[in-house]
Amino acid sequence: MKLSPIGFASFCCLAVALLVPACTNNPYPNEGGETRVFYSSFAEAPRTLDPAVAYTTSAHVITANVFDTLLEYHYLKRPYELIPALAENVPEPREMADGRVSLLFRLRDGVSFQRDRAFELNGEGIDTRIVTAQDFAFQIARLADPAVNSPVFENFASITGLRAFRTLLSERRSGDTDFAALRADQQYMALGGVPGVLVNGDNELEIILDQPNPQILYWFAMPFTTPVPWEAVAYYDGNEGRDRFADHPVGTGPYALTVYDKQFRFVLERNALWYGAQSEHRDAPGAAFPALSDISDEDIASGRIEPAYAGRALPFLERIEFRRERESIPRFNKLLQGYYDDGGVIKESFDAVVENDDLSPEMAELGMRLDKVVEPGVYYIGFNMDDDVVGRAAGDRSRKLRQAMSLVVDVGQYLEIFLNGRGVPAHSPLPPGLFGYDPDYRNPYRSVDVDRARSLLAEAGYPGGIDLETNAPLKLTFDTGDTSAQGRLRYQFFVSAWRTLGIDVEIAATNYNKFQEKVRSGAYQIFFWGWIADYPDPENFLFLLESASARSATEGPNTANFMDARYDELFAAMENRANDTRRIEIIRELTGILETERPWIELFHPEAYTLRHSWLLNAKPMGLSYPVFKYRDIDPDLRAERRLAWNKPLMWPLYAFILFIVAATLPAIRTLYRERT
Amino acid sequence: MFAYLVRRIAYGFVTVLGVLMLLFVLFFAIADPDDIARKAVGERASAEVYEQWKKNHGYDKPLIVNTDHGAAEFARYTDTLFFDHYRRMLTFDFGRSDADDSPIAGRILAGAVPSLSLTVPLFVIGLGVGVFFALLVAFFRDTYVDRSVLVLCMLAMSIASLIYIIGGQYLIGMLLRWFPISGFDPDPTVAYRFLALPVLIGVVSGFGADVRLYRTVFLEETNRDYVRTARAKGCGDIRVMTAHVLRNALIPILTNVVLAIPFLFTGALLLESFFGIPGLGSLTVEAIHGNDFSTLRTMVYIGALLFILGQILTDVSYTLADPRVRLR
Repeated sequence: MKLSPIGFASFCCLAVALLVPACTNNPYPNEGGETRVFYSSFAEAPRTLDPAVAYTTSAHVITANVFDTLLEYHYLKRPYELIPALAENVPEPREMADGRVSLLFRLRDGVSFQRDRAFELNGEGIDTRIVTAQDFAFQIARLADPAVNSPVFENFASITGLRAFRTLLSERRSGDTDFAALRADQQYMALGGVPGVLVNGDNELEIILDQPNPQILYWFAMPFTTPVPWEAVAYYDGNEGRDRFADHPVGTGPYALTVYDKQFRFVLERNALWYGAQSEHRDAPGAAFPALSDISDEDIASGRIEPAYAGRALPFLERIEFRRERESIPRFNKLLQGYYDDGGVIKESFDAVVENDDLSPEMAELGMRLDKVVEPGVYYIGFNMDDDVVGRAAGDRSRKLRQAMSLVVDVGQYLEIFLNGRGVPAHSPLPPGLFGYDPDYRNPYRSVDVDRARSLLAEAGYPGGIDLETNAPLKLTFDTGDTSAQGRLRYQFFVSAWRTLGIDVEIAATNYNKFQEKVRSGAYQIFFWGWIADYPDPENFLFLLESASARSATEGPNTANFMDARYDELFAAMENRANDTRRIEIIRELTGILETERPWIELFHPEAYTLRHSWLLNAKPMGLSYPVFKYRDIDPDLRAERRLAWNKPLMWPLYAFILFIVAATLPAIRTLYRERT
Repeated sequence: MFAYLVRRIAYGFVTVLGVLMLLFVLFFAIADPDDIARKAVGERASAEVYEQWKKNHGYDKPLIVNTDHGAAEFARYTDTLFFDHYRRMLTFDFGRSDADDSPIAGRILAGAVPSLSLTVPLFVIGLGVGVFFALLVAFFRDTYVDRSVLVLCMLAMSIASLIYIIGGQYLIGMLLRWFPISGFDPDPTVAYRFLALPVLIGVVSGFGADVRLYRTVFLEETNRDYVRTARAKGCGDIRVMTAHVLRNALIPILTNVVLAIPFLFTGALLLESFFGIPGLGSLTVEAIHGNDFSTLRTMVYIGALLFILGQILTDVSYTLADPRVRLR
């Protein structure tokens, strides 16, 4: 049969009209949402999942659920509290006769690694084995291995002999080819392991520290010190089609990574061999949902935590699916359709989601919940104290200049303009929720006072921004590693504030590499930086300004190169002290020094807003703690019902469109027909 | 024609050498290998790790002359980044990604299927729709149909492709709820659900330019003598358009179309990015964002190869479309 073009067009229209009703916007074609699967998204795959190296939030979302740790944070308690996980107890530091400190971890019995083909190195058909203290020692040795390139080596450097082990390993590898050809675990064994990591049988691990370091316990709640099987490191070497260990984690956690397609999706599935699933460990603190007494009234009232889950065995979710969403807009729209269970609030839709700092009525109608959590971090503008103009060399003059500059930066306005108000103005480096944070403290140099700033500037010898010594305008440089238009706008905000005082600040925007180079060579004056805590202790913020961390002297994170003898003295007294009233007094003194000296203009503590659907249960904002999926649950029936109700296809516009096309072309066809006949 | 092809391929090879030179200047001389290594391993990595990474990724050699070898030694010039760059690219040994050490060839192969599953339907449907509407408006020239479609084309061409994508996702995925807003599934039985919306958006965004171009070509043909002769012999209007005008207008259409075919492999950057399709377009965008220089230069090189291939194919297709064309 020969079909005319008009007939063909009609056929197409009919086909479309018939086919489209069969369409749906469900991105999970084989699932209707009735299973206990948690759906989330990722923008970029982590560079590595090696627990010795992975140090980003996106990596920890996976590694913290695949690798168990010796200790972990209590899921609900704030301030954060450590609980035992693979260890049977949170060790009490014991001072040894020689002044060193011992931490003794007793390990849970019968903990197994997840099933994996790497264990076939021990014999055909073997797909798992029991975890021993040696597996922890192996991982701690990996932290010191220069080839592993762990970013946290320095944080564990107080372990006796760790630094020497690193040097020795490096020397033997470069000088002995036979040694270099051995497997990593064999090399570590050949060197006798790390002297300060003692394996006392299969179930006891003793860590010896050169000096007291109470904060190190927090590091044992992070995946860096998880037990790692030597078999996985040896087998997954990236050769002959095998994965790299960085892409194939093998742990003991409640979930195992079963699909890892970095371009498309990750899947975590329940690990049947998890210790919490064994009857003897079912009541372990990390294997059961917290008791009713640990659930706060606020968590219950806000709907975050379902009290009926108290004491129940973990985990609840069968599977966790991460789908790749490079762009934020489609990700957010799919959250609104119910295809993701939680997600952040994007800038483009902020006003539609949040009204008067609360959920908008439209979102509330969808049954959404808005969780706001102040992250344990701080953003600040820093002055390079090594600089001749803004730094310590100019003495009182530069101090007053820094004070004046601090007095005109309106961080409230900055937060409103650039972050939709998502942040808490900072008055000191310490964020809310941390020991030593004082909610009533107001830094006198962090409230806008232009008059006072002008007079301070005049006292500094720069009245109206003119340097009295040279009679020339004061020119400063704001060095940034962000050349984007958005970045420039942000920095321009600060520059405009300083211009009200007559100070001419030029933005020197370079790419990040060049900026890092400037920092390395000390060629910078003013910079913008941020810090997110590794663990919930004031030491983790205040060390950013101690002399021992100065960038110019030690390559440390004190990029302001602030060096103050009194500050160092107080910091040393506070650093390893238990949380008592004296520690609070010391912290007050420390922040007092920063208040006057102004090496930083503290800006804000970031605040994360997360939207969660009503069917997502027990989702407490995680903050520093990432092994959270085992606590969460889904009400699959409610989700399936809502998804169905929210996503019925709307067909009439299609039919109207087809009718319109037909009506529009009909006169032309009629005219043509008339002409032809 | 054989001699012509050999000559074109030889010209193409010279162009490839030039492209490789440009890539060398951009990715090795301007982008310092030390910077690349520092970005990859981090600022605080030990010198040992840093050197090992450079060695593993082939960045540890001197640029053009290796003074470790004697003046008479051939290795003085072959044991260099310059020689290595040419050797690797010309033998398609792309090495490993600077970002995550994965083999680049494997990533390209894995990304080619999702890219093609988007770009091939987009290309075929886009071409079909463009030619169909261009024929239609040429057929109804100087009527309200012609004028309305022209206005529509101008409007369509004035809108940025990003607006099509975001607007299309909102209108069709969010409000009308016909297709998923984004996503992909390698299973061919369900992949069409995810591809329908990007293909539709791609077709609509290209509609204006295509229809206007093809319409001009068709109108030029409809004024030719052979069309008048065909009509005089009693040939119907529709047959004139489809059997005579369309066939004779193929050369300019082929120029536009055949050149585009090789680029179907490299994917559609924006569409893949916004729809979460794990194709080569996504790979390129990711390489740009992630400072993955080795992947980026490979993609640029492949793009250049495909462009040269497209030009040769276009020339060959002329002889197939028009017997009068002879390639010598």
